[in-house]
Amino acid sequence: MVGPLHYLFLGAALFALGGVGVVLRRNALIVLMSIELMLNAVNLTFLTFSRFPLVKSAPTQAGFLSGHTAVFFVIAVAAAEAAVGLAIVIAVFRSRSSVNVDEFDTLKF
Amino acid sequence: MEVSWLYLIPLLPLLGAAVNGLVGRFLPKAWLYAVALLVVLLSFCIGLFAWFEVARLPGESAQLRQLVYTWFSVGSLRVDLGLTFDRLSGTLVLVVTGVGFLIHLYSVGYMDEDPAYWRYFAYLNLFVSMMLLLVLADNLVAMFVGWEGVGLCSYLLVGFWYDDETKAYAGRKAFIVNRIGDFGFLIGIFVLYFYTGQVGFQALKVAPLSLGVASAAAALLFVGATGKSAQLPLYVWLPDAMAGPTPVSALIHAATMVTAGVYMVARLSFLYVQAPGVMAVVATIGILTALLGAVIGTAQMDIKRVLAYSTVSQLGYMFVGVGVGAFAAGTAHLITHSFFKACLFLGSGAVIHGLHGEQDLSRMGGLRRAGLKHTAATFFVATVAITGVLPISGFFSKDEILAQALNTRAFDFLTVLPDPGSPRLSFLGPTIYLVGTLTALITSFYMWRCYLLAFEGEYRGPAEVHPHEAPWVMTLPVWILAALSVVGALIVLPGHDLRFTWEHFTEGLFARTRGGAPAERLPELVAFGIALVVAWAGFATAWSLYAPGRALEGDERIARVSPGLRKALAASLYVDALYDRLVVKPLWATARTLWRVVDATLIDGLLVNGTAQAVASVGSVLRRFQNGDVQRYAAVTAVGVLILVYVFLVRG
Repeated sequence: MVGPLHYLFLGAALFALGGVGVVLRRNALIVLMSIELMLNAVNLTFLTFSRFPLVKSAPTQAGFLSGHTAVFFVIAVAAAEAAVGLAIVIAVFRSRSSVNVDEFDTLKF
Repeated sequence: MEVSWLYLIPLLPLLGAAVNGLVGRFLPKAWLYAVALLVVLLSFCIGLFAWFEVARLPGESAQLRQLVYTWFSVGSLRVDLGLTFDRLSGTLVLVVTGVGFLIHLYSVGYMDEDPAYWRYFAYLNLFVSMMLLLVLADNLVAMFVGWEGVGLCSYLLVGFWYDDETKAYAGRKAFIVNRIGDFGFLIGIFVLYFYTGQVGFQALKVAPLSLGVASAAAALLFVGATGKSAQLPLYVWLPDAMAGPTPVSALIHAATMVTAGVYMVARLSFLYVQAPGVMAVVATIGILTALLGAVIGTAQMDIKRVLAYSTVSQLGYMFVGVGVGAFAAGTAHLITHSFFKACLFLGSGAVIHGLHGEQDLSRMGGLRRAGLKHTAATFFVATVAITGVLPISGFFSKDEILAQALNTRAFDFLTVLPDPGSPRLSFLGPTIYLVGTLTALITSFYMWRCYLLAFEGEYRGPAEVHPHEAPWVMTLPVWILAALSVVGALIVLPGHDLRFTWEHFTEGLFARTRGGAPAERLPELVAFGIALVVAWAGFATAWSLYAPGRALEGDERIARVSPGLRKALAASLYVDALYDRLVVKPLWATARTLWRVVDATLIDGLLVNGTAQAVASVGSVLRRFQNGDVQRYAAVTAVGVLILVYVFLVRG
């Protein structure tokens, strides 16, 4: 039987993988993809708590709908973020001919 | 009597100063001269009108008053800009504007070729305005404004040729030494306000004062007077103040500003008679200054410095007068002195003008026959007046002071020490008389020496300098002043039943000392005889040493008899060197220490630059973290979040 813990561990694993990808990968596109991964891990967690509410007196059988609402917001923001992020990556590539994030270090001192 | 036009007297010269100072350089010269002279002349005319009004009014009510406006009002302190024109201040207004106008006129000739003539006349007008405010003020605060104002003008005019470092230094010296005195003056005002809550003369007159308060206030105000009126120990600025243009020396440093201290003591006579101990100090300082100035004056080679030390000495006489309670005699000498000393200074100015800037007596001589006929004649008259070889103004006014000092009873009830058994101070008056008579002898000597060296004998200057007489704008004022030096005797004639004398004119104006009616220690005629003999003795000594044809032999003879004395006198008894050693050098050293240690090291080094360096060094460590690598920021953030989660969720 698949319970809430399975979903949560999967979400945590995805989040950790995404986080490690954001911190370690050098390709800006992969970094963006890792961010997507983290966002989706969060989505999974939201839906888990929506399906298996911690409070017994849930207003509906399907649990709280607020989890679903949050997920829709996250998907919308993630779409926008992906669009803006890709646009930035393209703009940077045009000026630097590279998508290696290690070279984008002028934001210092 | 309240009037509404008194404010015009000080205001007109102020307007003149504003016009000349702001737009003077764009005006044609003649217009500027017209403005500068007319405002002073108008002030004089208004003053003359007011003076006749006051002279008509009887006795103590003889004054015109105007409350111009309330200057400020804080708590219980109310300071009005109020003017009082009584017989004392009124007469001084006439002296200031009258002598002032003559000197303005003279300056037209003297300063004509100076490129900064417009600045000069602006300062001179400003000075007249401030002096009039000082004289007319009816309270101490307004008087202090004038007091500081004349000090400022003195500074500006002494250092008028400021591109000459020694002259600029003389200006600063005059200002700083005056500031020391002004500090005392200011504290004196505070003391009076603190204990009475009043600053107006009328209110202070009736305010009850304890002996201690009256003495403290009187002494502190007198400190101000020693600065402004060049008395011991603050007289050192006056000889150096001769760096200014000569008409300035005549107006500010002889006739008017330096007499402000005497005027102040006379104005506050009601305060000083309540502090007999301070009066004894005033008289003692006065006579010591008179003697010192005269002694130093005997060996000066600069004609203006001779006159400067003479002024110091004569101011000492005035303080003797007000110090022994003879306020009328002291102020009378103030008036006559302003005539003959202004005349002497303007005469020396004509000499300097005629010799193209030469001030050294050793390069003068024979000027009377070399063309400076008018200057020599007027200088002669004024010298007669100051030395008293003939009974004209200076003779009577000085002798009156000495007679009053001899006969005074103001100190009879004072003791030398607070202990009642110690000897009485009644010896002070006669001692002052003796020293004063000796001073008169020296005065006669050095003034005749000066006259003989400058105007008699053979011309000793370089052959290429041809002495020439000054233009009429310069000789006319000098002749008028010479005439006043003679006619001035009228107001100081002895004889108590003469209605036009100064003493009669100012009756009831000054407070009386506690000692009561003066004693008759010496018959008046005998005193006059002694004064005359002393004056002639001085003249005879001067003649024996500096007779025409002997040139500088006299100085050489003195130097042979006593080289040390002659050297010390020529160096002004080393007082300047002493002050330099005792005050100026330590002050410089302190200032340098404060600059190097406190300012440069502590404030600039430790506090200002130290703060900046601390911030910079912390920043140089912290900026290692700002390396621009976004991924590292993300990693740090992640670690931080993990720590927070651990702290709040796992442990909390």
